[in-house]
Amino acid sequence: MNYPFWDIPFLGSGWVIGIIAIFHVMISQFAVGGGLYLPLAERKALREGREDWLKELVGYSKFFLVLTGVFGTISGVGIWFAIGLTHPEATSTLIHNFVFGWAIEWVFFMVELTTAAVYYYTWNRIDAKLHLVVGWVYAGASVCTLIIINGILTFMLTPGDTWLGVAGTGHEASKFWNAFFNPTYWPSLLLRCCVCASLAGIWALISASRIDGGALPKLKSSLVKWSVKWLVPSFVAMPFLFWWYLLMVPGSQRALLTLGIDTIGSGTFSIITRMALLIVMTSATIIGVAYYLAYRNPVDFNLSHAVAILMLALTATAAGEYSREMLRKPFVIGHWMYSNGVRVPRAIQIDQAGYLVHSNWVYDANSSYSRGEAIFRGECGSCHTLEGYRPLVKLLAGRDRANIESFITMLHEYKPDSPYHHFMPPMVGTRQDVEDLTGFLNAHVNPPAASAQKPMQTAQK
Amino acid sequence: MTTKSIASNVYDWMDERLGLSELAAFARKKTVPVHAQTFWYYWGGITLFLFTLQCFTGVLLLVYYRPGVDAYESVRQITFVMHFGWLIRSAHAWAANLMIFAILVHMFSVFFMKAYRKPREFGWLSGMALLGLAACFGFSGYLLPMDELSYFATKVGLQIPAAIPGVGPAVANLLRGGPDVSEFTVQRFFALHVVVLPALFIPLLAFHLWLVQRHGNAVPESEEAKPLAERKTMPFMPNFLRKDIAMWIISLNVLALLASVFPWALGKQYDALAPAPMGIHPEWYFMSPFEMLKLLGFVFSGKLAETGEIAGILLFTLGIVLWILIPFYDKTKESGQRAQLAHYFGLLAVFALLATTVIGYWTIR
Repeated sequence: MNYPFWDIPFLGSGWVIGIIAIFHVMISQFAVGGGLYLPLAERKALREGREDWLKELVGYSKFFLVLTGVFGTISGVGIWFAIGLTHPEATSTLIHNFVFGWAIEWVFFMVELTTAAVYYYTWNRIDAKLHLVVGWVYAGASVCTLIIINGILTFMLTPGDTWLGVAGTGHEASKFWNAFFNPTYWPSLLLRCCVCASLAGIWALISASRIDGGALPKLKSSLVKWSVKWLVPSFVAMPFLFWWYLLMVPGSQRALLTLGIDTIGSGTFSIITRMALLIVMTSATIIGVAYYLAYRNPVDFNLSHAVAILMLALTATAAGEYSREMLRKPFVIGHWMYSNGVRVPRAIQIDQAGYLVHSNWVYDANSSYSRGEAIFRGECGSCHTLEGYRPLVKLLAGRDRANIESFITMLHEYKPDSPYHHFMPPMVGTRQDVEDLTGFLNAHVNPPAASAQKPMQTAQK
Repeated sequence: MTTKSIASNVYDWMDERLGLSELAAFARKKTVPVHAQTFWYYWGGITLFLFTLQCFTGVLLLVYYRPGVDAYESVRQITFVMHFGWLIRSAHAWAANLMIFAILVHMFSVFFMKAYRKPREFGWLSGMALLGLAACFGFSGYLLPMDELSYFATKVGLQIPAAIPGVGPAVANLLRGGPDVSEFTVQRFFALHVVVLPALFIPLLAFHLWLVQRHGNAVPESEEAKPLAERKTMPFMPNFLRKDIAMWIISLNVLALLASVFPWALGKQYDALAPAPMGIHPEWYFMSPFEMLKLLGFVFSGKLAETGEIAGILLFTLGIVLWILIPFYDKTKESGQRAQLAHYFGLLAVFALLATTVIGYWTIR
């Protein structure tokens, strides 16, 4: 355990990433889609001489600039803070492997921010054709940011055999392009492009719904209908793209989707099936509601309808991103690094030498409880809390000390037919580590009577 | 023969025999008032939609549920063995709660819009009967899994009818099928839930809906004051229907979200000899009378405790009776001061229900 553990009470640090990232995806994917929407809408308005559209688009681009330029950037930087604190091991690997990718991404961010500001502030101040070019430059830069981040994100799920062949040798960066264009890269990119187009339409509906349908029926009708058309790529392509994406995911991880078909039992990891169900339901509803409510009755389409669609999109996005993260279990970098930061080939070494050999973060090396706490934080804390999210006290409830020890031993032995193989890493360490962890967990699952001496205070205050 | 001409021929054949074009003409003529309170018009439809869902998921559960001794095991199989059994069960349980919530929103919006006035008294009365039946649906359905929570919640819940002076114990015995909650109780509740209550509910619902078609939507007083020419309306078909269906689909998604993220759990199998678990309480829609009884039990303690309970039941019953009879108190828009008093009574009811429900949850031990 090279790094200190970032202890977020109740939620766990993983959810700090989750909350910021889901928020960020709603805005950043809008930035990509909207970046295309604005110049296309402007071009259509110029060609067809729609002055009313042009006036409306000025307001759209202001909303766009504020939302993406402020909330998009803050949440994007927020992800950096969160991942560095939550999972420094994985972040370190990604930085070392993709350092120029990250650098180029920032270049495109700078171009995005600049052109978004120029686009808004030069409306009606520069030549219309030049203004349109600014819009296209934004669109190009924005798509490039998606193209790059998609490579890094999909690498985490499917690094690909070529990169895995050189992982740990020091020559990982020599396989930059193989790692970048990994098995799930293309289906993921096309999926996200469809989502970007849909989000562009959905956010545009928010703005369009606020037009007074009584006073400006033609404007509202044309803008609402045109915005709904941005959902068509999703409607047509998503089922195939999802199917292609899942085909590229390793079979053992694809199997995680089926765990929740016949049960909701505690500890069965049935959540992915349920989240996948939500994605399908909410996506189908968005398209249905957008067509029947917005497209067929645009003049009556109001802000609360548009917000309802946006909330559905938020649910679909949250469920989708959460499922994608869960599909990666038990790894954070597929078949290279487990969720708790232990690298796959290092597991055997740790089993022999002990988990805490390289850890500076044990409060009292002489106390079994304290050692157990450090092992819990390092090996379990990336996915579990004690009494909050995915709480171990609840999951292990009813087990006595011997039972807890045999459970951890089962995870330690990690036999191929263990049901936890799908989604949990092996418990690595020596026999002593197993006992220390057992002692720590038992003290929480079966706390001693109030009159008994409490274990000494450790890092938790 | 194009598809269009075939469809048109089929429609004509059916129309000659069923009079479909008359229905279509009525639907096209029908309008719905448009004003600031139009949002509340959707809640009756949402309730109807949720009830339809309950019928659908209920029938699916019926295929695998076994009442009686095997009840718990059959529910365990539905939840942890059948493919997507957990989903149908979670949808059914959550939709029950959402439906009662929707009924309450619907009822209170009807009350505050004074849509119980002439000529809509029967609508109000049938609606109150439907609310009572829905509460019975909830109570009877809750026992069916026969886990710890349902067993003890029912056992405690049946103490309320048992406390009715005179007939109470006999009524409770009839409901339980004996002195204790047992497999006979669950079979009785099953018969109630699946046959008796639907047989009463569905015709009453049809009557309730027919009344809405006959009398149309009531409008608030502020809208009534406007001359007819100034009042905005929208056609029922397709405008209102489209928005209605959109609300239904959004309700379906809320249900999907709840059923997926918070699937309905199954506790331990009931043990008749065990004491009630700590903090046992009924579902939220029964928390109010439950808490009122507890509060009155505090006020009247010791020897007077039984009196307190009876007083509580009588008070609650009086409240309900007054509520049901409101159309005969606040009859028309010329009711004068009665209209204002009815409005305050409504506010008092909302406050009392909310307060006792919140206190109930707060004081769970």
